Amino acid sequence: MSNRELRGAIEEPVPDIPARIRTGLSAGFRTSLKIIKVSVPLYVAVTLLKGTPLLDLLGKVFAPVMGIFGLPGEAAFAFVAAFLLNLYAAIAVIVPLHLTPFQVTQCGLMMGVAHNLVVEGGVLSTTGARGGVLTLCRLVIACTAGLLLRGLWSLWETASSWAMALPGLS
Amino acid sequence: MDALLPALVGALKLSAKLILIIVPLVTLFEVLRYLPVFRRAGNVVEPMMRGVGLTRDAAIPLFTGIFLGIAYGAGIIIRVAQQKGLPARELFLMGLFLATCHSVIEDILIFVVIGGNGPAILGVRLGLAVFLTGLMARVWKPA
Repeated sequence: MSNRELRGAIEEPVPDIPARIRTGLSAGFRTSLKIIKVSVPLYVAVTLLKGTPLLDLLGKVFAPVMGIFGLPGEAAFAFVAAFLLNLYAAIAVIVPLHLTPFQVTQCGLMMGVAHNLVVEGGVLSTTGARGGVLTLCRLVIACTAGLLLRGLWSLWETASSWAMALPGLS
Repeated sequence: MDALLPALVGALKLSAKLILIIVPLVTLFEVLRYLPVFRRAGNVVEPMMRGVGLTRDAAIPLFTGIFLGIAYGAGIIIRVAQQKGLPARELFLMGLFLATCHSVIEDILIFVVIGGNGPAILGVRLGLAVFLTGLMARVWKPA
């Protein structure tokens, strides 16, 4: 496809560099403001709730489900935040929970696939694709990806511990 | 009240980290997105797209979604999808690919900042997206 055709497909004029920088900065700060409005209250709430009987109890309730993916029960709150809101809300919940690097990676993977389901489901529907079906797909894919990562991660750890055990390599 | 102050400080630190990623990233993208390199990228990836059942008509919405995300790239995705009159099969395949693998730069960076493993997240998402879309492209034959 030629440049002209592509430009025709996007149908937007090319602004000069200062205009682009301005657009970028203002879009960036607008997004940041939106994020802070959600993440600061959530972060504070989770920090204050941590260690209270309420969070412990709810954590225990979700522990069996979260355990499948190698996550603690409390991570369920991060998933609720990710599904309904966005990843920034989820991160505000994750950080005070002090998860391991694997658990953070696992959250990043699963939530990366399934997040902001309400808004994005709507967007996907307007393209003519079936929004509801795709949203369901995302949840299933997120779980598949989670199981896959858990398996790969333990394989990797086993392999690297064997490598370490080899004489002359460590 | 003793617990509130550290919580607030932690929340502000996290916000600062996120802003330090988002603002430069969005600005850089705005500056670079009009480069001809990006516009020509469609030719390079066409053979790969054929592997997952997509044609070059889907290139712009697909890559907008992969790099920008579904909500942010919505304008371009919707407009191009309608203009090109993408068939239902291609819309579904594109949707499936994007459901698994979208907004990869921003989404992965923010998890790397809080201690996640970026290559692991990207690898699994991309691998799974190609596998699932490729599989469905073979299940749902073009009319």
